[in-house]
Amino acid sequence: MATQQGSASAAALANQDIHQDTTVKWFLLGAVGYFAIVGIIALIIAAKFVWPQFLGTIPYFTYGRMRPLHVNGMLFGWLLAADMGLAYYFVPRLCGVKLWSEKLGVATSILWNIIIISAIFTLLGGYQKGFEYADLPTPVAVLVVIAWVMFGFNIFATILTRKYNQMYVSTWYLMGTILWTAFVYLTGNFATLLPGITGVNQANLNWMYTHNAVGLIFTPAGLAVAYYFIPRASNSPLYSHKLSMIGFWSLAFVYVWTGAHHMLHGPISQWLQTISIVFSVMLLIPVWAVVYNFIATMKGQWHQLGDNVSLKFLMSGTIFYLLTCFQGPMHSLRSVNAIVSKTDWIPGHAHMAVLGTFSFLAMAGVYYVIPRIFKTTLHSESLANWSFWLFLIGGLGMFTALWLGGFWQGWQWNNPSIPFIDTVVALQPVWMVRFLSGIIIFLGIVLFMFNIVSTAISGGRNASEATARS
Amino acid sequence: MTDYTYPSVYFAYFLFALLAGGALFFFLRSLKDGYLGPNSEDPKYRMMHDDPDSERNPARHEK
Repeated sequence: MATQQGSASAAALANQDIHQDTTVKWFLLGAVGYFAIVGIIALIIAAKFVWPQFLGTIPYFTYGRMRPLHVNGMLFGWLLAADMGLAYYFVPRLCGVKLWSEKLGVATSILWNIIIISAIFTLLGGYQKGFEYADLPTPVAVLVVIAWVMFGFNIFATILTRKYNQMYVSTWYLMGTILWTAFVYLTGNFATLLPGITGVNQANLNWMYTHNAVGLIFTPAGLAVAYYFIPRASNSPLYSHKLSMIGFWSLAFVYVWTGAHHMLHGPISQWLQTISIVFSVMLLIPVWAVVYNFIATMKGQWHQLGDNVSLKFLMSGTIFYLLTCFQGPMHSLRSVNAIVSKTDWIPGHAHMAVLGTFSFLAMAGVYYVIPRIFKTTLHSESLANWSFWLFLIGGLGMFTALWLGGFWQGWQWNNPSIPFIDTVVALQPVWMVRFLSGIIIFLGIVLFMFNIVSTAISGGRNASEATARS
Repeated sequence: MTDYTYPSVYFAYFLFALLAGGALFFFLRSLKDGYLGPNSEDPKYRMMHDDPDSERNPARHEK
């Protein structure tokens, strides 16, 4: 243990003042801004479910244009950008070296902003491919590939220069994210457009992409963040690094086949459906390895939840991860799928994964990182706590309404004596709860953004004053 | 019952083989590097001290 502490102190000493974190600032502040902008889009969509005529005659605000903007904006503008920003923070620190190239990092951030702004204009203008999670027009998707190569090159080049041979599990998850994203994104955005890939073939590839976008992009990126920030925020070492590696490798082996469970009872091969069910249920192995590790790390540290907002987000995200990863395998069972497939249960499940789990983990990271890289204190702990509770209450309201509403909707759809329009009218109260929950979540986003931006401004002002004094 | 296999499934097969093969290669490589060996817990202690900002001011954000 003494050796460990000695080498740890040496690591800290070696790391002093070598991190510029310019790229981290660019990515995180951009991500937080897009979170708020796309949050407004989300509210408009939720309002349209309750009042279908709302903004209905203006082409730019029709559901068919706003929904892809909401999905892609949240996934790529907020969440992936936040995860990338956090990766630029923790990878150099874990490797004991500075980022390979801050200039390349800033250039990547600028390109990422060009992509998101292009996405806003093209999607609102009605230019889209029409595939789930792969709506971006091909030229914009090509820019995403270029930006990802720039990001991956910078991260791998940093890892190659690392001081320590054995890498911490977050580094493994991030390397997995970078490599898996390359395969998954190319499949969803380009392979689906190849000649002869139409109809069921196209749907098969699209769902392979869609589910793997969550499982092989946002899951490993989010877990990389959680594995770094739970020990750091709780000031308590991870329960077991060995277990974390077992979780990583089991995820690597079982995830890729699960996407077809979205097409159960559809016109795809029965054996493919069965394989997707088997692999979906096997997902419980990596999930349990992850959740057990996080909860065991918190042993004796739970009292910190009271006054540590990062930890609040991290542990709530962990619980939502457990819940959403229980839902996934259950959804893949033929009997459950016959009820919930294509209903509002699906967006309820997706929101718990993307918002409840991975956005919570990312927000925890942002709350932890921003005060440190701007060398100041968080603008307001109180506002941070408010934002957490608004996210939690709004999120729970939305998730619960959509799960229950989805089951209700599915049971009605399975009863041929109920006219379809009656099932639409019956869901009105559910959509009202979703809209009201959305308002609460949006208030959380506003407080989060205000707190983060104020912290950054305060840090910038302190730095200017220090420069003037010297 | 004859079960038609769509060409996209073969593509999915290929991707799966590629990813599973890559995972297997790096998994075996990680075993060789001692990730499941007696020193496999070292990284979790080292990462607790990798941030000079936290070293200098641990109570900046969390109490």
